[in-house]
Amino acid sequence: MPIIKTTQVTKVYNPDTIPVHALAGVDLEIEAGEFTAIVGPSGSGKTTLLNIIGGLDQPTSGSIEVGGQDISKFSDSEMIDFRQKNIGFVFQAYNLIPVLTAEENVEFVMLLQKRSKAERQARVKELLESVGIADKWDKRPNQLSGGQQQRVAVARALASKPTFVLADEPTANLDSKSTANLLDIMARLNQEEGITFVFSTHDQRVIDRARRVVTLVDGQVDTDVYK
Amino acid sequence: MVVIASIAVGSWAVIFMSSFSNGLVSSYIERAIQHEFSHLQFHHPGFLKDKEIEFTLEDADVLLQEIKADDKVAAAAVRSLSNAMLASAKVARGILVKGIDPEDEAALTGLDKLVVEGDYLNTKKKNTILISKKIAEKLQVKIRSKVVLTFQDFESEIVAGAFRVAGIFETDNNRFDVANCFIRRKDMNKLLGAPIKINAAPVLTEAPAKMEPANTAHEIAVYLKDHEDIAGITTAFQGKYPALKVQNYKELSPDVELMESQIEISSIIFMVIVMLALVFGIINTMLMAVLERYKELGVLMAIGMGKGKVFVMIVLETLMLALVAAPIGLAIGYLSVKFFEDKGIDLSAFSAGMREFGMSEIVYPNIESTLYVQLTIAVAITALLASLYPAWKAVRLKPIEAIRKI
Repeated sequence: MPIIKTTQVTKVYNPDTIPVHALAGVDLEIEAGEFTAIVGPSGSGKTTLLNIIGGLDQPTSGSIEVGGQDISKFSDSEMIDFRQKNIGFVFQAYNLIPVLTAEENVEFVMLLQKRSKAERQARVKELLESVGIADKWDKRPNQLSGGQQQRVAVARALASKPTFVLADEPTANLDSKSTANLLDIMARLNQEEGITFVFSTHDQRVIDRARRVVTLVDGQVDTDVYK
Repeated sequence: MVVIASIAVGSWAVIFMSSFSNGLVSSYIERAIQHEFSHLQFHHPGFLKDKEIEFTLEDADVLLQEIKADDKVAAAAVRSLSNAMLASAKVARGILVKGIDPEDEAALTGLDKLVVEGDYLNTKKKNTILISKKIAEKLQVKIRSKVVLTFQDFESEIVAGAFRVAGIFETDNNRFDVANCFIRRKDMNKLLGAPIKINAAPVLTEAPAKMEPANTAHEIAVYLKDHEDIAGITTAFQGKYPALKVQNYKELSPDVELMESQIEISSIIFMVIVMLALVFGIINTMLMAVLERYKELGVLMAIGMGKGKVFVMIVLETLMLALVAAPIGLAIGYLSVKFFEDKGIDLSAFSAGMREFGMSEIVYPNIESTLYVQLTIAVAITALLASLYPAWKAVRLKPIEAIRKI
């Protein structure tokens, strides 16, 4: 059974004025353990699809099932709860909380989940080590490089033990060394721990490493290639 | 920072303004009590109705000793009163003459300290009078000038006595100054003649009343040691002397009572106004803070922070700012009140106007300690109310829109 299943998902922005059809009926299934890149030119609907899968946005029509649950009918607060439990986000602009240290940024979601202190500390340590910045645990985001911030963001995304991780253009702001480093880490997490990653990207370096590449054109799946 | 500063300044303003108006009014009240009304006054009940001189206090001197012996009483004095015409060679004026026992009166009202020129009435010379500077100017008289007092005696005859100005006094209250003059009770009673007993047997049955007029008095004024429970003390004295009418300064001077109650109301009104201004200040800055952190809040909500938590977070942030700011404002307020409490604030530039109202030139701010508590509660409530709108605004943001903003 796929962990993500979208059925004829459409999204129309400004339906009343100048309708923009961002998604025009997307059918997509993603299995657990995939390392999938969603690619396509600007305006093809990558980010919209990712937002809808991530429960940040709702489709105009169609349904999205995550782990067998139809999330397209969720209320705002059900959605927040769902995101907290099931999805790890990695954003293009890192979006770490500026006033918190690396450790606290990672710990935050677990605080929301009311995990015990011992469990939180152990998990934070483990995650920061696995992304290779355990020595920077007490640094604030503005004291870290872009690559380091994005690695903290990956650790944060994993902290809640999510069903899958959504990464929206995770390498867009990074130099090639940091990109390679980040991709290594994510590939290793995928292989060793079976974590499902879904990226939106038009970075060839990411596409090269992905094991499945879904190409969107004009809001529809154009090609779907397994490597 | 802006929130902290505005709350701090607001709290300071409330404290300082309240203490200032408090100081202003309480100086008025204190002076009114000190010079004019004392805490309590005892009269014949009839005297209050038409101020006729025949309504005397019986055996006033014995009564005075009794009252003085009461352990709540700090000072007391007995007075003869009469409306009179005070005339100099050039001008005549209606005035209230108070016949006083100089030593008692000095202990009670400190009248001797108000003499700005000449001597107090404690000279050996007969028929001396103490008039105010204002009256002296109006009558165009100086020290040792002769003035004539004309009033009714007990037999309803018009009597007149020539008095020499011994001293000139001045209080902060023009109204009081133009309405009162002082002579010795002994001198006054001689002119008044013997009292006619109107509703009781003469106390001094042995000696003929006409031979002993010196005991006549219309009023006993009392200064209490502690006037916290003034109403209770008034009732107690009234119960002890049912034949007399005992009144406290609130009853004697409704405007004093009005001002007293007005202090509290006005400081609350002022507090409400400041708090209203603060509400908008806090809403404005907290809204800015929310918009500034739009993206951050969006991320928090994206990764699963619930709306309730976001709401509570903004409210708590505002409250914490208030809790930092309020003590700062209170401390500055406390210090500025302390600073001026002893020094006073010199308003002599405006004092001509102040005198007309019986207020003093130097205001000594003072403050009830309950105001600090009230103010802290008010600030907390204000901050709470003011945080609701920004918090609501934060909750309504859509994470997807918030995150897109760079």
